[in-house]
Amino acid sequence: MSGSSSEQAYEYLVLLPRQTHTKLYEQPSTVLAVFRCMLPHLAKTIVMAMLYMPTPFSAVDLEAWFRPEGKSVKDKALSALERLHIIQAKQDATRHMHYELSKGFANSLRQALTGGGTHRSFGVPSSTPDPNKVDTEFLDAYARKQWENILFYMVGSTVGLASSAQLSQDIGLGTKKLLEMGNFVQVRSGRVSITREGFTFVLQETNAQVWSLLIVYLRHTPELGMSETDVLSFLFMLGSLELGQDYTTSTLSETQLQMLEDLSAFGIVYRSSKNAATFYPTRLAVTLTSDAGALSTSDSLSSISASRSSSQQGFIIVETNYRLYAYTNSLLQISILSLFTKLTTRFPNLVSGKLTKESITRAVKLGISSSQILSYLTSHAHPQMQKHQPFLPPTVMDQIRLWEYEGERVETTPGFLMRDFKSWDEYRDLKEYAESLGVLVWHHDEKRWFFVNGVDQLSLYMKKKVTRGGE
Amino acid sequence: MNAIDGTDRHIVTEGAPPPSLLAIVLDTNPHAWAELHSTLPLSSALSALLVFINAHLASGNANEIVVIASHTNCAEWLYPSPRGPYPSSPTTEPNGNSSEARHNKDHVPGDPNKFRPFSLLEHSILTSLSRLVSSTTSADLASTPTTSIGGALSLALTYMSKAALLREPVANDAANANPLSALADSESATTTRTTLTSRILILSVSGDLANQYIPVMNCIFAAQRRRIPIDIVKLAGDTVLLQQASDATGGVYVKPERPEGLLQYLMMAFLPDATSRRSLVMPTAGGVDFRAACFCHRNVVDIGYVCSVCLSIFCSPTLQDNLCLTCGSYLSLRSATSKTPQVIPRKKKKKKRLGTDSATPGPSAVGTPMHG
Repeated sequence: MSGSSSEQAYEYLVLLPRQTHTKLYEQPSTVLAVFRCMLPHLAKTIVMAMLYMPTPFSAVDLEAWFRPEGKSVKDKALSALERLHIIQAKQDATRHMHYELSKGFANSLRQALTGGGTHRSFGVPSSTPDPNKVDTEFLDAYARKQWENILFYMVGSTVGLASSAQLSQDIGLGTKKLLEMGNFVQVRSGRVSITREGFTFVLQETNAQVWSLLIVYLRHTPELGMSETDVLSFLFMLGSLELGQDYTTSTLSETQLQMLEDLSAFGIVYRSSKNAATFYPTRLAVTLTSDAGALSTSDSLSSISASRSSSQQGFIIVETNYRLYAYTNSLLQISILSLFTKLTTRFPNLVSGKLTKESITRAVKLGISSSQILSYLTSHAHPQMQKHQPFLPPTVMDQIRLWEYEGERVETTPGFLMRDFKSWDEYRDLKEYAESLGVLVWHHDEKRWFFVNGVDQLSLYMKKKVTRGGE
Repeated sequence: MNAIDGTDRHIVTEGAPPPSLLAIVLDTNPHAWAELHSTLPLSSALSALLVFINAHLASGNANEIVVIASHTNCAEWLYPSPRGPYPSSPTTEPNGNSSEARHNKDHVPGDPNKFRPFSLLEHSILTSLSRLVSSTTSADLASTPTTSIGGALSLALTYMSKAALLREPVANDAANANPLSALADSESATTTRTTLTSRILILSVSGDLANQYIPVMNCIFAAQRRRIPIDIVKLAGDTVLLQQASDATGGVYVKPERPEGLLQYLMMAFLPDATSRRSLVMPTAGGVDFRAACFCHRNVVDIGYVCSVCLSIFCSPTLQDNLCLTCGSYLSLRSATSKTPQVIPRKKKKKKRLGTDSATPGPSAVGTPMHG
């Protein structure tokens, strides 16, 4: 929720049953990662305030702590916490509502903050010095090579750059199969072509890409006979490791050892050989639980450790006359750009082109949406462009949208229609609650109908209301 | 179709709240901690503080921390450690790939039960603090019973302004090409785009700080100008000055009734950053004492004499050679004493409040010559 990259992980995590959550929260590293990445900003504040509180937090006090105008953010934060089973609302004997942190979560978070216990969940560094120790630069290069190969495998063939020379490095059968299972590519008679989901994938930031791929991986763990909890807590542990440090594999479970092999194919961890006793997390791994840009693919030559945040990695300049200049020499970037730009000139460190109606509509036909294009351009905007707010010229943004809407006049949102309310008050109360949760899509006050794209929180709310009303 | 709308342009860029930089000024005055020993010894206060720091770092991936000790006779960096060069890249990145982390890597044993950045930070703070304590001689202690809060505050403010400069989107280019132009430009740049929200937390145990009235006041006005709130945890003693600091900068002021529960006070009242504070009700100092300290003896005065040229405040009308101590202009206060001063305290309060609330640099401009 805090960044686009971890949003998918959050969506995945929310759908897990309570038992899985309880099991996950046994590991302090997992709890810390969930806390850092998955929670809305205010939810973190609430959790921290309750963490060392000796008594449960009564709902009245919580209400008083928030300003009236902060009600909607409070509801959102509380609903996220309840969906993740981090806090529970309870009623005591005197029928006063109060909130309690789930015990496992609170204990693990306290352990993570104070560093106590013997859970060894933050990775056990290897005690024996590695004879073939590798440095950070090597790890970065390794991670980038593996990851770009995957991207290139997806994009290359569609753009027509997939000559045999550029695809010389193979990406491994397992990875190919995973991409297919995730519906990122389609293989038709031996030819790989990218799908709409694939475009979404490619246009994301690296961090989000890693998560998307890992979530596909997670969904298929039961088929491979691996435990979901084990896989998830290993991933969260990876996120809390230190770059350039070798960790021992001796404390890992069977499932996790099996995972190591797959992860090294993605470039998330590095192992010097198949059965080495140590592994190195790469930058892809250690940034799993932060929103810092993982790998800058914009400039393959520059050292990526120099660029601290994604805001400094931008390389694209878009002018109000739709001309586009991209300071890059990476084939991957150029091929991604050529998906929706009419590129005209290429220099050693620069390509230039134009966003035309033709190029945008072609991209839309391929399944790329205008918002994907815009978010790609925004997230890779050159520092010079970032001086303005918004980064891209408004005319260009609007025009790209207009071009898309020319072809698509109807928008669909899957969801639920709520109707047949008994009274106006009931209707209004529920509608306002839906609005504060941000799930309200459409409403018609006279008919007392409204439409939401998420219903589980609402039904909980209604149930609570019924029980309260029945007193 | 209302899909094309100028307003939804901004949705794309609206992401996580800006990272927040927290500077903690820890008052390490041995006299005051010795008095507090029965309720809250320094060691338990420190462990509460470390948990609080970890909580702050966990609350945002790019959050940063600075810890400064305000000792009896000096202000000292506890974190980032002063041994290394000035950390151009903030050292609390979760990746732990900064120079500081590398610097410390050899000394800190890898602990599988602890998040790596946390253990690095804890190690750095504890070693710096123990070095500071062991280097304190009894002569230092005898010389002054109070703490150098002014120096610590200015250290924190300079670090923050440097961090803000480094965060600017074009900071790298501009700073390399011409650092001075970047500095000159900083005022306008910070107002256009907030990339970093900063705040200062003072953990204060010392009492009377009136002897540092001018430097602290200057820091307060600097913080006010840069919109940096100063939060105060007042564990012991009472000073007029720190109350004014939190009031003038919009910070939180808490005087815990039970100091042994320090951690809960910290977690509840001081952890929310500027983004969260907008939707929370924060505690503030109730009645603020706006009295000023005189420039001649550093006493807090109810009624004083004010230089008509530079607005310096004096507690007694007997000035040497009838010259103002600050600006040196002729100032005969004797004539004022012949008549009883017709000052209504209420009115004076209001006047003072005006001066601190609006950002007019009146008193700070007065103070500057003294400071140098």
